[in-house]
Amino acid sequence: MKAWWRAVRAEILKLKHTLALWMVLIAPLAVVILIVLEWMLVAPSKPSTLTPTEAWQGLGKMFFTLWSLLMLPLFVTLQTALLAGLEHGNTQWKHLLALPVPRSAHYLGKLTVALGMVVASYVLLFVLIVPAGFVLMFTAPHMGIVGMPHLGGLVAPVAASLGASLLIATLQTWIALRWRSFTLAVSAGMVATVAGFIIGQSQYGRFYPWTLPVQAFGKHGAYTSLALTLGLVGGLLVAVLGLVDFLRRESP
Amino acid sequence: MTAIQTHGMTRVFRGGQGVHQLDLEVPEGAIYGFLGPNGAGKTTTIRLLLGLLRPDAGEVRLFDRALSRGDRSALASVGAMVENPSLYPHLSARDNLEVTRRLIDAPVARIDEVLRIVDLQDHAHRRVREFSLGMCQRLGIALALLNNPRLLILDEPTNGLDPAGIAEMRRFIKRMAQELGLSVFLSSHLLTEVEQLATHVGVIRDGHLLFQGTLDALREHAGDYLEIVCDDSAAVCADLRQAGETPDAVDAATVRLTRPVQADHALNRLLVERGHAVHQLARHRPSLEALFFELTGDASPGTASTNTVGSAA
Repeated sequence: MKAWWRAVRAEILKLKHTLALWMVLIAPLAVVILIVLEWMLVAPSKPSTLTPTEAWQGLGKMFFTLWSLLMLPLFVTLQTALLAGLEHGNTQWKHLLALPVPRSAHYLGKLTVALGMVVASYVLLFVLIVPAGFVLMFTAPHMGIVGMPHLGGLVAPVAASLGASLLIATLQTWIALRWRSFTLAVSAGMVATVAGFIIGQSQYGRFYPWTLPVQAFGKHGAYTSLALTLGLVGGLLVAVLGLVDFLRRESP
Repeated sequence: MTAIQTHGMTRVFRGGQGVHQLDLEVPEGAIYGFLGPNGAGKTTTIRLLLGLLRPDAGEVRLFDRALSRGDRSALASVGAMVENPSLYPHLSARDNLEVTRRLIDAPVARIDEVLRIVDLQDHAHRRVREFSLGMCQRLGIALALLNNPRLLILDEPTNGLDPAGIAEMRRFIKRMAQELGLSVFLSSHLLTEVEQLATHVGVIRDGHLLFQGTLDALREHAGDYLEIVCDDSAAVCADLRQAGETPDAVDAATVRLTRPVQADHALNRLLVERGHAVHQLARHRPSLEALFFELTGDASPGTASTNTVGSAA
């Protein structure tokens, strides 16, 4: 446990001056800017009939739908590849694995930081709903956003989406650590994300790892429980298998 | 106590390369030069010693503690730099050290200590991407020193350095070993460098250990001899035999003693007192390079060369 925590602290320091750290801010911000610009620039066909609560939550739902369907899988792909690249690129493994530290600490440290960045980006996106809502309140009044934020109803689906994202985070972490190639890790994530657009529209979308997080925001959340269960159980299983694979191999 | 001890350490890769039945013995406090041509198995040996590779057979003991996949505590007394230093170029020297310090839970003050040892205290806040190769090598050694090791394992520590850098690194390793009381195991293909640095050597070829021992033992192994140039080798041989020596007459004016019983100066005095004209009395010591090539069986222009280490007339 102590070794794991020490590894996490070491991983956090390694992120200093890296793109990976900036991406935690940039990725959710990009989603917010895109949605806000869309509503500011697109003229409404008719005024909104939504209540203020529905309008606030509708805005949040838009953010998280775009986030969980497109930006999150790409974000996870890039972040895990960058985290693993810190060691692959500078042949760090021979130094790290020769230290009197359990090998598992290195794997679990990386996985923890990758998950931490996913959690941080979710939290940041949730927080950004508020300033975005106030901007739209004045620049796009046709949206019907008025008054103080009403976001309580979003907490459950956002938490479920976050839980469902565990599977892709553990899968991408395993891929990025397993193979030295940055290109391979990024390509795998991009192909899987693009495939998610097609698979997500079929009946298999509710089982496909890369479209599990968006299930909490589609079809009135009908498949939220299934997505959450698959994401958590699958994520834990892949995390354990990835760790076993890491321990079994001599050098990543 | 031995710093490193291996018994029958074997690791064979597909294609047959690897190391076979290595019985290394590195005494505590020794600077052990591990020599071998490229592909001989030096880096494989170092990776086995650090648990980066699993042996097919045999065992590794570091300060009498067995190293295994499950128990890595033997590495607590070991600092290592394998091939190039493993550094994060986007971080400062201090942050690079801090990453490893956090992992091994060393005291914070240890960072300043190792920076001082490697003379990088004035560059602690500079990013490593701005460092020269020599500075990177020194920082790599600082990383290896963080856990206050008793044994330092260095794989080709002078790789890529210019001659001035090589000389500096040599002085640096010697100073560290003396001041910190470290045992050092270093692999190198620069034979002259090892000759100037090491107290013990191991020679490996095709994964087999061909020789292991002190430098003197290596020279003796290859035949350190005394050569006397005189007027009459037959008469000199006769007098030397009388004195209990076993000389060989190389030619009419040259006598060779492979293992003289008496000291060189005593033999010189003996011959002069008996009226022989001694033009030269010199000990011929084969260079490590010559010995190395003799052991490894490789042809080299310098194979026949010898170093004269003393002379008298």
